[in-house]
Amino acid sequence: MVRAFWSELPKFRRWSVLASAGVMIAASVFIAYLTFHQIASGATGPEMTDLIQSFRTTQGLVAIVGQARSLIIAIALIIVSANIAAEWSQGTLRNLLVREPGRLRWLSGKMLALLLFVAVSLALTLLISATFVIAVAQSQGISTAAWTSPEGIRIFLSFFGNEALCLAGISFLGLLIAVLARSTGAAVGIALAYVLVPEGLIAVVWPQGSEWLPVRVFNYVVGATVPSVGPIPPQGYPAALSVALLWMAGFVVVSAVVFRRQDVKA
Amino acid sequence: MEVIMTSSPDTSQSPQLATDDAPSSTLAIETHNLRKHFGQRKAVDGLTISIPAGTIAGFVGPNGAGKTTTIRLLLGLVRPDAGSATALGQPLTHLRSYLPRVGALVEAPAFYPSLSGRTNLEVLARLGGYPHSRVSQMLEVVELSDRARDRAGSYSLGMKQRLGVAMALLPDPDLLILDEPANGLDPLGIIQMRELLRRLRGQGKTIFLSSHLLGELEQVTDWLVVLNQGKALFSGPARELLDRDRGLVVETEEATQLDLVATIATAAGYPVTQVNGSLRIACPASFAEELNRRAGEAGVTGITLHVLEASLEERFLAMLKGDH
Repeated sequence: MVRAFWSELPKFRRWSVLASAGVMIAASVFIAYLTFHQIASGATGPEMTDLIQSFRTTQGLVAIVGQARSLIIAIALIIVSANIAAEWSQGTLRNLLVREPGRLRWLSGKMLALLLFVAVSLALTLLISATFVIAVAQSQGISTAAWTSPEGIRIFLSFFGNEALCLAGISFLGLLIAVLARSTGAAVGIALAYVLVPEGLIAVVWPQGSEWLPVRVFNYVVGATVPSVGPIPPQGYPAALSVALLWMAGFVVVSAVVFRRQDVKA
Repeated sequence: MEVIMTSSPDTSQSPQLATDDAPSSTLAIETHNLRKHFGQRKAVDGLTISIPAGTIAGFVGPNGAGKTTTIRLLLGLVRPDAGSATALGQPLTHLRSYLPRVGALVEAPAFYPSLSGRTNLEVLARLGGYPHSRVSQMLEVVELSDRARDRAGSYSLGMKQRLGVAMALLPDPDLLILDEPANGLDPLGIIQMRELLRRLRGQGKTIFLSSHLLGELEQVTDWLVVLNQGKALFSGPARELLDRDRGLVVETEEATQLDLVATIATAAGYPVTQVNGSLRIACPASFAEELNRRAGEAGVTGITLHVLEASLEERFLAMLKGDH
């Protein structure tokens, strides 16, 4: 598994992977700036109420940088599902499995590397967004003392931890879809379509049931930290966290079982 | 193909060939009744072959014959539905015990197009646990050192093929499985590939070579497996296959002399047929000398003897038509 992990690292030099992380960072900074600008310029509206209320509190910084969460989730899902499915599409999987016939070892190493890449991208995104927003706020004479207070930093770190957990869940969903789809285009299409359509539809027709669906549950874990950046878990944080971990375990187990038995014809 | 003396496959460096009943330890690959179906389609249908260690074994068959599926079965990429097989003496179920000693190029070479050739090799070297220096060595072997830092996606077809061969050679394999390695290579590249394969065989390695270039196979292989519709039509020494239908063609100016030659050949136990005023004798080429001597003793002069030898292409086509 360690060799598989190390062998994945050079692949992150591909421009498509680096560009995805770059887009995540740049778009998140831009969204955070727009959000800050709206609040600072006195914009009002029902969708702004929560943000305005938390702006000058210890949750203010997270409330602003967290507005790009949907984008971060989508990009992380694309990075993971495309990266794994591309091994089939490019035919490179056959080279890799000849060199590492232990399929689960290879998949574990690859997944570990991808999770690390997503976590590092997330950390850079939040750090750069937060630094930028703080700098802009200070340049405009807006106090950032609450954001940088010990409580503010604790909330920021808690948000980072839960967001990383959410992205881990999303990544395992991407893994499952890639293993089943075995094609980059299909995997990315199915992954995005699943996140955008089915869970939303189920939420409309069966709100209570949708509380336990994977993407919703992963979002609950983050919403429990700062309500303005995610839905508040109706079942409570511990229950939401437990269900999220169960979903992750389920995705990993199904992916492993399918991949281990799969014929590699690519 | 009718020639007075034909070129024969180079066996100058070939080791002693094992036979089908050789013990498994001398066989690099052995399959018994191997089967693989994809839905209703029988890709490999009761395949039984054996390939001695230390040979270059050609793997021949029309498109869809099951060559690539067989290779994938040997590499553990697909699982057999029935039958058994060993590679380097280990059963297919023990991939970890033999795959580290196997190098493979399956179908078209696959790589990460936006990474350099060197980085593509580094990915596999890290995964296989090979020293970093091995990457540079392999780039030199396939003569890609000058372009090693260029994007693999910018390589020509021949260069991609060389990169694929370098990937296969990374583990310094005992068994090298190559699927169409000469694809896209220019004539010089094909000659270099041929020399590389002979050099590797000289080092005691086994090369399982799938190719449609029958002329090329004829030059380098000392073992042949002919596959059609998932079944082996032939598995044995290349010379054995090429020697089938070998014979002598005798031409004289006088019919009576031809009758005398026919009598000599028939007395020696070889079937004789008359074709357009010449004789065709189904016999080994070595009989030519004896026939010439006996004909001289019988007073027959002025005969011309031709050794008749079928090319691999002719033998292959005949086998596919069921004429074997």
